[in-house]
Amino acid sequence: MITIKKLSKIFRTEEIETNALAEISLTINQGDFVSIMGPSGSGKSTLLNIVGLLDSASAGSYLLLGREMIGLKEKLKSKARKENIGFIFQNFNLIDELSVYDNIELPLIYNNVPSSERKTKVHEIATKLNIAHRLKHYPQQLSGGQQQRVAVARALINDPKIILADEPTGNLDSKNGNEVMELLTNLHTNGATILMVTHSDYDASFSQKTILMKDGIILSEKLNHRNVDVLVTNSNH
Amino acid sequence: MLKNWINVFIYHTKNNKLFTALNVLGLSIGISTLIFAILYWNEEHSYDQWNPEKDNVYAVLNDMGGGSIWTVNPAATAPALKAISSDLESYCYFTTNYAKETIIYNGKKELVNKIFSAQRNFFSFFPFKFIYGNGKTAIQDNSSIALSEETALRLFGNENPMGKLVKHLDRLFTVRGVYQITEKSSVMPEAVTSTIEDELEKNKGQWGYSYGLMLKIKNPKVTASIIKILDDIYIEKNAKVQAKEAGLSLEEYVKTYGDLIKAVLLPLPEARLYNGNYVFPEENGNRQFLLISMSLSILILLLSIVNYINLATANAIKRAKEVGVRKITGAGKGQIIAQFVFETALLTFFSVLLALVVVEIVLPYYNSFLNKNLLLIGAQFYIELILISLIVIFVSGVLPAVYVSNFEVLKVLKGNFSRSKKGIWLRNGMLILQFAIAAFFITGSFIVYKQVNYMAAKDLGFKGAQVLDIVFKAKKGISPYERYKTVQQEALKIKGIEAVSGALFSMGTRDNSWSSFTYKSSKAIMIQEMGIDFGTLDVLGIKLSKGRGLGPAFSSDTISSVLLNEAALKAIGENQPLNKIIDWRDRKFKIVGVVKDFNYFGLESDILPMIFYHLTTKNVSEIKDDVRHVFIKISSRNVPQTITDLNKFWSEKVDPDYPFEYNFVDKNFARTYKKYEDQRDLFALLNVIVILIAVFGLFALASFSMERRLREIAIRKTLGAETSILLRELSGQYVLYCLIGFVIGIIPAYLLLQKWLENFAFRIDIPLLPFIIALVSLLLLTLTIVLAKAYQVTKVDVLHYLKYE
Repeated sequence: MITIKKLSKIFRTEEIETNALAEISLTINQGDFVSIMGPSGSGKSTLLNIVGLLDSASAGSYLLLGREMIGLKEKLKSKARKENIGFIFQNFNLIDELSVYDNIELPLIYNNVPSSERKTKVHEIATKLNIAHRLKHYPQQLSGGQQQRVAVARALINDPKIILADEPTGNLDSKNGNEVMELLTNLHTNGATILMVTHSDYDASFSQKTILMKDGIILSEKLNHRNVDVLVTNSNH
Repeated sequence: MLKNWINVFIYHTKNNKLFTALNVLGLSIGISTLIFAILYWNEEHSYDQWNPEKDNVYAVLNDMGGGSIWTVNPAATAPALKAISSDLESYCYFTTNYAKETIIYNGKKELVNKIFSAQRNFFSFFPFKFIYGNGKTAIQDNSSIALSEETALRLFGNENPMGKLVKHLDRLFTVRGVYQITEKSSVMPEAVTSTIEDELEKNKGQWGYSYGLMLKIKNPKVTASIIKILDDIYIEKNAKVQAKEAGLSLEEYVKTYGDLIKAVLLPLPEARLYNGNYVFPEENGNRQFLLISMSLSILILLLSIVNYINLATANAIKRAKEVGVRKITGAGKGQIIAQFVFETALLTFFSVLLALVVVEIVLPYYNSFLNKNLLLIGAQFYIELILISLIVIFVSGVLPAVYVSNFEVLKVLKGNFSRSKKGIWLRNGMLILQFAIAAFFITGSFIVYKQVNYMAAKDLGFKGAQVLDIVFKAKKGISPYERYKTVQQEALKIKGIEAVSGALFSMGTRDNSWSSFTYKSSKAIMIQEMGIDFGTLDVLGIKLSKGRGLGPAFSSDTISSVLLNEAALKAIGENQPLNKIIDWRDRKFKIVGVVKDFNYFGLESDILPMIFYHLTTKNVSEIKDDVRHVFIKISSRNVPQTITDLNKFWSEKVDPDYPFEYNFVDKNFARTYKKYEDQRDLFALLNVIVILIAVFGLFALASFSMERRLREIAIRKTLGAETSILLRELSGQYVLYCLIGFVIGIIPAYLLLQKWLENFAFRIDIPLLPFIIALVSLLLLTLTIVLAKAYQVTKVDVLHYLKYE
């Protein structure tokens, strides 16, 4: 689904050049749940932003569904983004001025989904994520966990090909964090492709594969074992 | 999508009630100012538009040379033109003033303000709709009269007026038509007669410039050839004849008497806003005032739009996150722009509604200020209103929307975008523009104020505060001069009346008469004829600078003595004028005195040469019977009683038909600068509005930008910054913008006001004071607003901001 080859990102100021990403190569297949770990400044967020088409690379190649994304015009990027990618942020990034319903509905509007269909879809996903009773509320009136579920609902409503999660539990307590991670695991079980940036070993352990980054390069990739699932089961007890 | 936009819009409106209200208010003040100007503009441009003949009718004006264009014509030209030109369909002479006289029916007397006289074909030039009769026969002979619907109603009630006899100017007229005037017209008479035909017959072939003249020309391409023919007629029948009489060749004649008179054709639709002498009796619109009010209104709308853009971009930063999220969820740039323009459209819509309410409420005051009857109706007006709204939406909506749509998603969602410097140049530029407009208004209005004050306070050379000017009407069968002499004697018996004297002129009125004189071998000089009685100059408080005035002790004073004013002496270059002889009206006159210059037409005009002679001076035509004005000087004690007594005397003994009317001479003159007082008031009012909008804009902008620096202020405070240093830090830039704006604003103010002052022959030099006042008041306002806000900001809770971000 995603093939990245020798991808570089250089930040330039007048005096210093920083290699945020140095010739990174990475492949993510359909149905993968990959987490990226690493200390601050390791380039993990930059990588996520480039994958999410929010940022551009300095060199290299990034194929999304077989199409080259590097050097694409903003308009086409924006189109690719809205059709294929769902975002989940650490700080949720909900529009405070809009109700939960309106927030979730947003991607459908921009994808020109007819109004009646939008209504059913929003209600469906809200029920699925257990926030149906909150649709009329505004983000500020919800707990952090609920807000993040709204953000997940918004990310999923358009059936994106890949979900990008940037420290989705970073602003949540462990209980709410757990709930969100379970949500993501469920999605993955049902076939979703997920790329997640995290600081937490625990969160990473939910994924199939963990990539460890430092100073703009990939230090290691490791496959997580089945016993992770056992752990999860344990933690639920 | 619309629902979603509306939800966000409602949320913001609810949560920023004050901001939204002020934004709408600012915009609506701007729009309503422009609505006022447009209503006025439309009305002035609607004159004669109804007239199906408007493209064929031209008024003939005469360029006398030296920038003086007369709107009156001799009786001789049109018939001569008709005889030569086949392009001329018809012509019509008319009186350029309405007469105010009584019309009597069956003993019922009505004073009619606008009685008009024109040739019999008048109604083919102004084809009003006839309720009774028709335009062809309505003034078919000299004893026919046509009445307006209102006049007919006043005189006859519900009776059919056709064929009824009415008395007017001691003559009987038969009503042969009743017409209706529904639209604005250069001529809107209350009654029309063709008595001018008598005069034209009497003055046939004469070259005295006395009548208005319209031509009907079907083919607009032939106007040039008509002008050529008119000029030729003048040369052949007047200039050459006069040259011959003077024993000169045409060239020598031109050398002595100045340039030949040139005809000008003014199309009827341009007559209303013609900048010069009145063409038609309805008088001209005040073109300069119209242009000024229109451009100032546009400037104010611009200011409120700038204000709006400024606040919108500042506010947009608060909405950066929303824009970022929208983009991430798939919104394109176009959609973001559409959303923000949509919001502007909603706000503009509310502003227009509010503006209409404001206009509706203020309209009566505006109408009395303009002396008009403007209404908020008309398809044209609403089309213009929609156009204005669209322009406002476009100008004030698109700029902030494009700015917002260019937010970079990543920066917005990740970082401290609220402190981004983006768009700051735009806001600061707009702020400078606001300061410039404010500086322009403050200096401009102050200079106008100074000039008007100067006019009101100027020593005019005469004293009119206690002098009544009563218009003296001719009466059939009695010589006006004899009658005036009786009135003079009788009136002096009334207690409180100190002096009575008649004249052929009155300051501040349009009464004037001109001829030319020569001195030694000088070129002919145009001179204003001022017929006086013996005491007239004393009554009016006009001083002599040399020699003596005219008096009954000298028998020659009613035969060959004249006074000149200083301007006339300057024109002939004579320092020792006493007892010198001038040639005037084909006779020799002796200068016995010199009159100090005084203003006659208003302070726009220079004081021109004047000649003073006694009313009864022989051979100066039958001037004494033209006595038009009686000046009555009253004592300053018990003025109301004196006037009541005079009123009684006048309506019993002098003129029982016509109601007693008087004006104080100084009030008469004050009317000549009334329109400038209007301009001063308008400017002052708009000035207040401008300052209001600017103050609000500055406050809002300062609030926004300072609140974005709260964290910085918190850090500075933690590091030990003192409040005074912080205040200086925060307000410094605004003072700088204020100064830049001021410099930009006063340049056009200086140039435009210089141009405006050129209206006046008597004017102030642009003083330094208005600029200092503008600078000081702008700085004061800026500092007050900015420092107040800055002080509030420096009182922030440091911990809150250090922890929060």
